[in-house]
Amino acid sequence: MTTLPPPPPAGRHPSGVSRRSFLQTLGVSAATSALAGAAEARLAEPGAEPAKDLIGPGPSRVVLKVNGKEMPVTIEPATTLLEALRQGLGLTGSKEVCDRGSCGGCSVIIDGRLHVSCMMLAHDAVGADVQTVEGLANGDGAGGGGLHPIQAAFVKHDALQCGYCTPGLVMACKSVLDANPKPTLAQIKKGLAGNICRCGTYTNVFNACLEASGQAPIKDA
Amino acid sequence: MPATPPFSPTNLPTDNRPRNAGSSMNDDTSRLDGVAKVTGRAKYSKDRYLPNAVYVGYVRCPWGSAELASCNKEAAQAVPGVLEVEVTGKEGKYHGARVGHVVAESPTALKRALRALACEWRRRPAQTRINDAMGEPAAPTEETGKMLAQCDHVLDAVYSTEVQTHSSLETHGACVDHRGDEAVVYSSTQGTFAARDGLDEAIGLPRSKYKVICEYVGGGFGSKLAGADKEGVLAARIAAKYKRPAYLFENRAEEHLDTGNRPASRTLVKIGFDKDGTIKGGLIHTWGGVGVSRGGGGVAIPTGSYRLGEIQRKHDDVSFNAGGPRAFRAPGKPQAAFAEELMLDEIATAAGVDPVALRIKLNTSDDRKKMLQQGADLIGWRNRVKTGSQTGVMRRGFGVGCTSWPKIPSPSEAEVVINRDGSVLVRTGSQDIGTGQRTAMGIVAADALGVPLSIVEVSIGDSTNPPAPGSGGSVTLPNTAPSMAAAGADAKAKLLDLVARLNECKAEELTIHEGQILRHNEPLITWAQACAKIGPDAIVGKGAWAGRGQGAGHSDGVQFVDLRVDTETGIVCVDRVVAIQSCGKVVCRKTAESQIIGGVIQGLSFALFENRLLDRQTGAMVNPNLEWYKIAGPVEMPLIEPILWKDPSANVRSLGEPPTVPTSGAIACAIYNAIGKPIRDLPITPEKILTALA
Repeated sequence: MTTLPPPPPAGRHPSGVSRRSFLQTLGVSAATSALAGAAEARLAEPGAEPAKDLIGPGPSRVVLKVNGKEMPVTIEPATTLLEALRQGLGLTGSKEVCDRGSCGGCSVIIDGRLHVSCMMLAHDAVGADVQTVEGLANGDGAGGGGLHPIQAAFVKHDALQCGYCTPGLVMACKSVLDANPKPTLAQIKKGLAGNICRCGTYTNVFNACLEASGQAPIKDA
Repeated sequence: MPATPPFSPTNLPTDNRPRNAGSSMNDDTSRLDGVAKVTGRAKYSKDRYLPNAVYVGYVRCPWGSAELASCNKEAAQAVPGVLEVEVTGKEGKYHGARVGHVVAESPTALKRALRALACEWRRRPAQTRINDAMGEPAAPTEETGKMLAQCDHVLDAVYSTEVQTHSSLETHGACVDHRGDEAVVYSSTQGTFAARDGLDEAIGLPRSKYKVICEYVGGGFGSKLAGADKEGVLAARIAAKYKRPAYLFENRAEEHLDTGNRPASRTLVKIGFDKDGTIKGGLIHTWGGVGVSRGGGGVAIPTGSYRLGEIQRKHDDVSFNAGGPRAFRAPGKPQAAFAEELMLDEIATAAGVDPVALRIKLNTSDDRKKMLQQGADLIGWRNRVKTGSQTGVMRRGFGVGCTSWPKIPSPSEAEVVINRDGSVLVRTGSQDIGTGQRTAMGIVAADALGVPLSIVEVSIGDSTNPPAPGSGGSVTLPNTAPSMAAAGADAKAKLLDLVARLNECKAEELTIHEGQILRHNEPLITWAQACAKIGPDAIVGKGAWAGRGQGAGHSDGVQFVDLRVDTETGIVCVDRVVAIQSCGKVVCRKTAESQIIGGVIQGLSFALFENRLLDRQTGAMVNPNLEWYKIAGPVEMPLIEPILWKDPSANVRSLGEPPTVPTSGAIACAIYNAIGKPIRDLPITPEKILTALA
């Protein structure tokens, strides 16, 4: 069982942007703004007109498929998926905590695999199926109704305190259970190893994960 | 060689936390905001991206000590979307020191402008190490010297702890929604009213025209007690200037650098004791590494948990080029408890006495003595072998530590509103930083009214609600429960008066139980029928608590640790922690258990991992992130058994802070027990263990 993200797809990205054409757009952007790093600038062919299918350097309108809905959003080439979700689409369940892929607070599930959305460009998510914590409950979860089993188990086992890491942990738990319906405690710990909780709720999260997979919680006193 | 006894979680009892059953006012209720938090619907202040907002960020010094030589203000100003570039400071005395700010139309433009500013700094030598500036250790006075000379043994040791940053997952900041003649401030704060009071000037509005909202706070641990804080004040100023919403939140690096920390400590002890472990006293000199701050480095040793005899005491705060401390969950206590507990274990080994027996003998609290006995039983202390007697690769260790926290008084008010439709709204200005305060307020009000919690709606974190203390010093629930209970009782009395009038009976004959109005304990009418008579205005019950009187009392606790040390890799695996904690009357079992579990985990993380590392040459923090600043994660989790000490007759007392105090000491003692060498420096990394064993 693993929750590592899959290797980057070969060839063209779902958005239709190749690695090379993408870097070229960065180069164009760099050449026209004061932000240019010398290395970036060299990637642009001097004087070349940008091809019609190139994205950037300014904002462009794309459609992201989030929680089953097509959602138009305006993004820049460097906009991360997390920024597009939070600032662009108002889906603030995914949290920006470290903004460099080390805490799991922004975890989302893309085409069935767990990703940290702060480490993915929004353009790379075009055409993919993005699931955020907002899309997990069947309904609005009001009064506890319609919650996904892992969400219900989180509430029951008090697997949250301040709640800021919670959406990320909920998504990570779902990913663990999707890959392995009856994980052992050790497998759960390993599957959640990319998530940090500062209040210290991990052991209750393990219990929630066990409960949601129909297993007995840890017998702790 | 004594065999290392096997550890198996499957040997444990089968029911989940049966010991805590019946220990609280409410055993089964789940956190009231649980659903909002697991569905992502809970809106934190950092989630407030408002239309037409401006974004604000700081210009900061990247070195421990440096002078600003130049910066390209024009280039920053020229970045599209930039509104304002202010560079006011010239000098940075620590990494992260603020010298200016930028205002922009979007977060992206803000980032670009900060880069375009291209500050050039002239670096100066930076003082980064507490040890380099501590000065001479105190010498024993003649009296202390004489006393030490008469003791059978003297322990002469220095214990040290390193900087732990709060690392709240929601960073410090505020979003100020300024609409010209009124404003709403979304602040990530531990003090709703302190935030309001701190904004008077910056926001340029009378208090009647703005309010502070912090419905959800993504952690604080003491670092968000400064109310609106520097971020809120600047955001308010900018918002007032542009008459637009202003959004200012620190990034992760800034959060490490400039929002406080638990300061590093050094504790020198020269302690005399007799053959039987009786401690006669001695000298304790402590130092706190306060960075550029003037104070706040205190180390609360002796902790008061044990009788340590006559102590000659000295403390010095040590300044150097680093961000200063702030209150961090039990300020000064974990550092002290670590030093004191390991010191006790070293004394126990030297005297040849059992560490638990020694702690019972020296303890200043009868409750803790009982807890020590119960905890020893639960952890399986009988399996502990003598310190230094193991020789295998994997060595098992047991450790123990004590904690105590006072109930600190603070006034509060509360309101309970009964509506005509039977719904109940309870209002308090206190905030829930993850403690479960929202849930506890609901439980207290429902209990006072005699209605099910399901009809109670709780409003908190709003400066237009009745005033309540900031969440610091574990004061919140102990000081808000009395006013909320009084408000519930007041509302109930008013409703029963109305029912009595309508039914031509005396209010004293009436009670409310599970949503039924009873007369002489016989059902009279239902809650809904009673409430339907309310009108035209809702019933408003008010409660106030002066913060005096029936408040005193300490929350005591002990923690036991069972761990293994891999002597080939130096890696410590904490298998089990038993945490017994008193907090007076428990309001909500689940959230109370979570407070204890969280305290243990933060203590474990402090003991084994966390360390703010400053580069010695440049004074820059080399790990201002969450991958190199290591915080305990899922893989390092032991089995944690939170045990709520039954004390039903008591009042509600403190709980937030005490459980994080003893863990690091208990872990250090257990490692000492396993490997036979005391590691006197936190965090206890594999390197230190391997060095000690080499």
